Amino acid sequence: MFHRPKICIDDFEAVAMPHVADLYRCASWLVQDSWEAEDLVQEVYLEAWKSFHRFEPGTNCRAWLFKILFHRLHHLRRRLWRASRLESLESGGDLDSLVAEPPVPQEIRDDDILLALAKLPLDFREVVVMADVQEFSYKEIAETLKIPLGTVMSRLSRGRKLLRQELAGVARAYGVEPAEEHEGESA
Amino acid sequence: MNVLNFQSKECERVRRQLDAYLSNELLVETTSDVLKHLESCEACSRELESRVRVREALQTAAAKLLPPEYLGQAIRQRLRRAQPAWFGGFQATSWVAALASLALVVAVGQQWFRFERGKQLVASVLTLGVSDHLHCAIQAHNYPEIANPPDQLRQKLGPEYAALLPVVQGKLPGFQVLEAHICRVPGNPREYVHFIARGRGTILSVILTQRKGQSLPEARFVAAATSGGVELYRARLGAASVAGFETNDYFGFVVSDLGQDEMVRLAAGLAPALRNALGRSSGTERAAARAFLIAFVLAGLGAEHNRPGHYGSARKPQ
Repeated sequence: MFHRPKICIDDFEAVAMPHVADLYRCASWLVQDSWEAEDLVQEVYLEAWKSFHRFEPGTNCRAWLFKILFHRLHHLRRRLWRASRLESLESGGDLDSLVAEPPVPQEIRDDDILLALAKLPLDFREVVVMADVQEFSYKEIAETLKIPLGTVMSRLSRGRKLLRQELAGVARAYGVEPAEEHEGESA
Repeated sequence: MNVLNFQSKECERVRRQLDAYLSNELLVETTSDVLKHLESCEACSRELESRVRVREALQTAAAKLLPPEYLGQAIRQRLRRAQPAWFGGFQATSWVAALASLALVVAVGQQWFRFERGKQLVASVLTLGVSDHLHCAIQAHNYPEIANPPDQLRQKLGPEYAALLPVVQGKLPGFQVLEAHICRVPGNPREYVHFIARGRGTILSVILTQRKGQSLPEARFVAAATSGGVELYRARLGAASVAGFETNDYFGFVVSDLGQDEMVRLAAGLAPALRNALGRSSGTERAAARAFLIAFVLAGLGAEHNRPGHYGSARKPQ
């Protein structure tokens, strides 16, 4: 015999609906299609409602919804994105090369940063979005994406660096050159 | 190549920690070490400043990306129609739980089947509007470069639909109605009330056709939004995006290549107004309209409209 407390949809909506915008933002940047993102977010909410009995009141509902989002995203990825995995980027080279990076623009336009973000391989993009936009901790990101903590750190570092390199390209297009005082001997 | 001139291994160590520092993931002691180094190292400070700037730019851009207004409502609608996978306050023995699980599997399967079937049905109905848009507006180019005068458009629409012209024009901000007529797609007896408008660098159609017993799915969970009590549906068919709705007697469509979000937004403004206008015209005006139409056709005023490649006629959609 068991007994569950009665849960109504109003309880679910009260804790879950405030996160629609965050989920939509994240989904939009990861699937790169607003219509697909809307469908994805709707499916996340349906799935969350169906398993709401497993949600522990008082715990982080936002993190729980993101776990469902990425669970569904990874299903999508198997179909849509397998070809774009860039293992070599993840495993290759020194993450923080001592070679000075060209400067990013002083003022970064929304279009430029979004274009740069869209160019990141998805493995890196999702970690950058989770850390820098959604401001999840490394531990939460690792749990949500089901990857080791070290992988979170390396992907974030690599993703941020790729983002800066893309923006540096924009800076060069604006005529901004690397600072002379950084030139010197190799470390 | 530009290479940093590191005075010590300290710069290298700190630079490796900057990402964790930025994410507030360092231990207090390590954070203190990093801060101490940053105070004395201009190069590393600049590096940090650059990373902070990128992070803030991302957050600024993110704050401006908002979900469509109808998304929250669409989620709530789907939630209230979905069967949750649990039963609150339910007490059961194991065999009852097994039966409940079986029932749940069946219910979820049915729900899935209904949803998939619903989506197919929506797409098939919305194809009606897209086909007329493509045949009449895009392929046959049945609109002038300069808008036809309103009097001429009202004449083409006939008295039953003439009153819809200001409704359509008024609910399409940024668009100009160039043409309005009754038309038909080759090989299909169905007739359409067709408004062709230009704006935002493209051509948009507002189309009405009689339902003839057809209906959008009863399982309304496939609807994208509701506006003034009218359910809105959407689909993307080829390059065209379409939003559709139904009134008592008609299907309505808004079609263009501007994307589904924009079609739903425009349909949200048009649908309640067109439903009300059609409701008004379906009463006593209908009898008068039929009489007028007979005279209109007999007078041959519709001949001008039947040029090659055009399927228009000044008749009520059948």
